[in-house]
Amino acid sequence: MSIRLNKALEFANYRVTLNNQSSALKAKTQSLLSYSINGGTFSIDLALITFCKQLLDQNISEVVLLDEYENPIKVEVESFYDEILSRYFEVTNDYYAEYEKLRKARKVHKILDLDENVT
Amino acid sequence: MKMSPSRGILMFAHNNAEIDYFKLAVVNSLLIQKHLGIKDITVVTDSHSYAYAKKELGKKFIDNAINNIIFVEKDINFKRNNIRTFKDTSHTAKNLSFYNLDRADAYNLSPYDETILLDADYLVLSNTLNQCWGHNNELMMNWKWQDVMFERKFDGLNRLNDFGITMYWATVVYFRKTDYVQSFFNCARHVRENTQFYKELYKWPGRIYRNDYSFSIAAHMIGGFVDKAIPQLPTTLYKTFDTDDISSAEDAQTLLLLLEKPRSPGDFILTKWRGVDVHVMNKWAINRISGAMLKYVSTTTKSKTRKSRRKKETIAG
Repeated sequence: MSIRLNKALEFANYRVTLNNQSSALKAKTQSLLSYSINGGTFSIDLALITFCKQLLDQNISEVVLLDEYENPIKVEVESFYDEILSRYFEVTNDYYAEYEKLRKARKVHKILDLDENVT
Repeated sequence: MKMSPSRGILMFAHNNAEIDYFKLAVVNSLLIQKHLGIKDITVVTDSHSYAYAKKELGKKFIDNAINNIIFVEKDINFKRNNIRTFKDTSHTAKNLSFYNLDRADAYNLSPYDETILLDADYLVLSNTLNQCWGHNNELMMNWKWQDVMFERKFDGLNRLNDFGITMYWATVVYFRKTDYVQSFFNCARHVRENTQFYKELYKWPGRIYRNDYSFSIAAHMIGGFVDKAIPQLPTTLYKTFDTDDISSAEDAQTLLLLLEKPRSPGDFILTKWRGVDVHVMNKWAINRISGAMLKYVSTTTKSKTRKSRRKKETIAG
């Protein structure tokens, strides 16, 4: 096989690995942004965080929110807001760090954080 | 005084001629202890599978991982007739017995008020399943699933047949002991006992009996013949297939997976899978890394025990 074709195939392999690793990272982030409380499950996103902040600013201490299953769940706003906000920061900061590592990786072993000899 | 409900994990482990399901259950139990912090683990097995594991791993080691073992008798006829092709990547395929008959009895067998029923090959690598405890939904299963090789698509796994009902996966099931849930399991048992009739009615493919089929049909019936009537678990079911392999276990929550390329069977790409639970269909692959996995989880358990002993001594001192 010519050197050029070999290089192209190597690059294809790198792209597939990179895409799959990015998707795996997204899956992990999504899973960590799911939060269950009082028998309900919430997906932590910007809309939920902003809505809770709005409630806090209006001095509302307890509220009924619809969870992922559209079930009404009563929550104490302040502690709920603190929890989802800290989780959101924790998870997205981790995501950012991992994503940056992936973005800069130019070889399969770098994507996977492995010794060059392994791959 | 209000008693808090008992909560625990239930797994089924019946070995066949090649696959040591009981060992998989032991590995998974230690992972469960580490990631979910749950000690109440019940494994339903048969005397032969247990005897083999006792010889291989030792009774003390098993007792350390699993605190409740329930023995059942195997139905020999079913064992001989329910034969499935198991693959160890595309390079090796073997026809072996697939003993999964008693899973529909989970409701009666579970000693807990709240149970998470797991496949022994569903590796718990995170604490996500703890979100189930005390949930408003008394019964939850997965119909959302995702291949760990994200590019690969298997549309045939979304429904029992092309025009059929939604396929639920019996890999992970959360349930509370209530009349409704009991009816669900009674229904699944009814399907199991009348396999031929329901196979014709719901037109599932192939000849083998799978709990995914009986649980999907029970979900459809008990949900009032409505699609997706039983709620999805708070987590997606991530799967690797039997054509994939595991290269190594990096630590107690990281696996280096070899995933078969969709357009090039027998060729693989590597993926690092960290901190998300995963269903591994290639049982040989788990058995190959089980030694390393056991080392990681039992080292952590041992060092934790040592630490707490030291702490106690300090307090006592």
